[in-house]
Amino acid sequence: MASISIRDVSKSYGALPVLQGLDLDIRDGEFVSFLGPSGCGKSTLLFCIAGLEEISGGAIRLDGQDMGRIPPRDRNIALVFQDYALYPHMRVRENIAFPLQQQRLPAQTVQKQVAWAAELLGLEALLDRSPAELSGGQRQRVAVGRAIVRNPAALLMDEPLSNLDASLRVRMRTEIKRLQRELGMTVVFVTHDQEEAMVLSDRIAVMDAGVLQQFAEPMTVYREPANQFVASFIGSPQMNFLPGPVAGGGMAASSLLGVRPYDLSPTRRPGPDDLTVEGTLTLIEPAGPVTFLDVTLADGSLVKATCPDPRTHQPGEPLTLAVPRGSVSVFNADNGKRTGALAPPSGARVRDGVAEAVAHRA
Amino acid sequence: MSGTTHVPALRPPVRERVTERVPGFFYAAVAPTLLAVLLVVGVPLGYSLFLSLNRINPITHRWLFVGFGNYAALPGNAELWAALGRTAYFAALSVAGTTALGMVFALLLNARFVGRGVLRSVVLVPWAMASVSVGVLWSFLFAGDFGGVNGVLNDLGFPSLATPWLGDGFRALNLVALVHVWNQAPLRALMLLAGLQSMPASLHKAAMLDGAGPVRRFVAITLPWLKPNLLFISIIATINALMAFDVLWIMTRGGPGSATTVLAWLGYLTAFQFFKFGEGAAILYVLTLLSFVLAILYFAVLGPRRAAPVRADGLTALPGGQGRHGMAALPPFRPRTRLLPRPVARVLAQGGFWAVALLVFLWSALPVAALLLMSLTPASDLIRTPASMVPSTITLDNFVSVLLPGRVAAQASSVQAQRVPLSLLNSFAVGAVVAAVSVVLGTLAGYAFARHDKTPAFKLSLWALLLTRMTPGLTLVLPFFIGFRAAGLIDTRTALMVSYCSFLLPLSTWMMRSYFEGVPRSLDRAALIDGCSRLKALWKILLPVVRPGIVATAIFCFLASWNEFLFALILTSTPRAQTIPVILAGFLSQAQFYTYGPLFAATVLSVAPPVAVAFLFQRYLVQGALSGSVKG
Repeated sequence: MASISIRDVSKSYGALPVLQGLDLDIRDGEFVSFLGPSGCGKSTLLFCIAGLEEISGGAIRLDGQDMGRIPPRDRNIALVFQDYALYPHMRVRENIAFPLQQQRLPAQTVQKQVAWAAELLGLEALLDRSPAELSGGQRQRVAVGRAIVRNPAALLMDEPLSNLDASLRVRMRTEIKRLQRELGMTVVFVTHDQEEAMVLSDRIAVMDAGVLQQFAEPMTVYREPANQFVASFIGSPQMNFLPGPVAGGGMAASSLLGVRPYDLSPTRRPGPDDLTVEGTLTLIEPAGPVTFLDVTLADGSLVKATCPDPRTHQPGEPLTLAVPRGSVSVFNADNGKRTGALAPPSGARVRDGVAEAVAHRA
Repeated sequence: MSGTTHVPALRPPVRERVTERVPGFFYAAVAPTLLAVLLVVGVPLGYSLFLSLNRINPITHRWLFVGFGNYAALPGNAELWAALGRTAYFAALSVAGTTALGMVFALLLNARFVGRGVLRSVVLVPWAMASVSVGVLWSFLFAGDFGGVNGVLNDLGFPSLATPWLGDGFRALNLVALVHVWNQAPLRALMLLAGLQSMPASLHKAAMLDGAGPVRRFVAITLPWLKPNLLFISIIATINALMAFDVLWIMTRGGPGSATTVLAWLGYLTAFQFFKFGEGAAILYVLTLLSFVLAILYFAVLGPRRAAPVRADGLTALPGGQGRHGMAALPPFRPRTRLLPRPVARVLAQGGFWAVALLVFLWSALPVAALLLMSLTPASDLIRTPASMVPSTITLDNFVSVLLPGRVAAQASSVQAQRVPLSLLNSFAVGAVVAAVSVVLGTLAGYAFARHDKTPAFKLSLWALLLTRMTPGLTLVLPFFIGFRAAGLIDTRTALMVSYCSFLLPLSTWMMRSYFEGVPRSLDRAALIDGCSRLKALWKILLPVVRPGIVATAIFCFLASWNEFLFALILTSTPRAQTIPVILAGFLSQAQFYTYGPLFAATVLSVAPPVAVAFLFQRYLVQGALSGSVKG
């Protein structure tokens, strides 16, 4: 397994830039997801790492070795394709053995390694079937088997779960995670499903329009989104954005407050560190574990909040919504960048406490 | 049908097995096509069979029923065995040649490079040309005294290599096969290209990452993927080789001696030259049966492949921890050793690619360019000895003499040249009507077959239609002649239109069916729910969706009609209804040296519309080849 270093990589199709100055360092044995809306360049970047697409600028290094002039077949990188790309005329056994045969390994080694991969993935009963006889989940496992069988330097996966139905998708992603832990593989996983990325990854690289937006651990991306794009792309339902002055305390008019619906709930007695907004309840959406509330604020904007029980509220009633100030992100509305969390109310003791803690640590 | 609508209660409920009630609309939609094909192909085929069971005196017109006597006499006919041998040799060369060349073309044309669109069109030209035009072109190129090949050899300073190319029997057979390959390879390329384009791009990418080089990927991925295409291409190529007639008629007429007398030619000779109708019909029926056997093989290949059922069992949960099988000790990954440094290899690969592209371009374009040059050469230059391809001057005289016969002094224009304008008009009129009728009826029938191919009656008639495509024209032409003569339609454009429509209906039906199959049924249902009648749904909603198919079908039908020779030759006798291939062939029968110039001008004119089509509609032709029913 290997580390992957991506330095100032850019790529364009003619005049159309698809990747712009990307910098990423993927550590050995790390599980990294490329996450973004379709067309953001995440699959292109994956294909660049594999060598199937050429980069227009920058460098990609595998364990420090520049891959610029190395064709895909000499990179020792495996890729699981979105459509699995199983060779249709070869049986499962031949599919898995194919990469090993290309290295001209002795037949005995090939056989032993295929048996290992088949057992690891629970494919032993399927070895003599042809891909047409396999279900989606089985094909997916065969594709993974063909990828890991030669112990590649890195395993790349291009939306490998997107063709599976929902329940299978959840099962397979757990299996992939376990496999990665067991083998200590470096995995790069492309997805547009934020939940998949959150659950699987050690770190997530959020991309938009060919530009890296944030590269951090999943909870950091969720709690401290680097900018408004990341904030609104991660989390469902989407983060609410309120004008800065709502918070009072001299917030600049050009700032925006990002509040996750899960942090915002109706209250009768707001705590001292809560930020509160007033509005009218317009819609109640019970979703099982939580209930979503659509609340229209005085300025006409709509925010989404959550409460545990739908029966305690009626549409049309006035509500006070509260959110702990510490979980509110503040964005600069001009460039969309996050400037930090909302500070506690001025003069509050808590602030001193934080200051003390900081001083103490220092 | 009424018997099958009642489903016995005990039968297990199998999906798709329950016979659907087919709305009357669909019966009405297939009726005209089936009726036309039955009348115009089925009845003559039966008549031809009857003919083969008789011996007919051509002078007294006395029929003598001999049962299988004509067939029984065949094994004792040494000439027949010889012809069968030549046919096998010709077919083997043709299949190997068209498949190999078609593969090279298809691989080349599937790559992305500057000028691919143009090269695709150029490659199609030899196929789009009428086989008569192909024959005219090559028979002059190979001609002994003034021929183009000899001319080039003289021009290059190798006069000693000049020879009457078609003079030697075995060489003539090989050369005719070569010309056949030249003419047919583009169609095989189209079919293979369709197969290549249906291959998911990820297969090659995956193999590349798995460490396979270009050659290995071709062998391990591309070839197996194309296996069904290759198999059915070789069958189609065999049938086409069996039926090859036009090129032989123009180039060698079975000679020298009997060196190029293949089975089709022997049948033609027996029936139409020696007027042994019964014996000739028997030979041609053997040919027909041979084609049918191959066609049935073809059905087996093309027919719905039994997909292995998807089985969701057998997937065990992932075992945790240490399993029975340990990981094999793999040697550290070592990139392969290179024979050449990468930049050198790259330049070589690029150079090789462009060299192949250039060769393919020259192979396709050079003979056509020679034709164009000869049509612009003064007629007297074409009969110079020693021959030369360098014209003394470039002139439009040849075109003037065929297009504006009145403008040329009487002795410079031949009778045949004066017939060219009308024959072009005839070809256009017949082609346009045939394309229109075939598309209309084929669309209706294709739609019905696409929506109801599970119903036994529809399934059966669909395959029967395809079988009629495999019937050699030679078997049908005599009954056609007799039938049209009885109807008083000999020597009319109507006779040609009726015959062409009936052989092209199966083609257009099959092509349209494959396009309609690509249209989801939900579209029909939505239109019906929104208040359309079936016909209105077809007209308003489905036709716009299958428009590319309509264009492709119309083009294929027009080209087939424009290029047809045998029926036009037999069913017309005066310039009134003769089409351009017949007129071209007529030039050769007259064998007047001074008409070579006008002949080539007329050939260029005969080739121009198909070539224009190849250039303008190349994209549609590639799509059309996907439907798998295109032949010849």
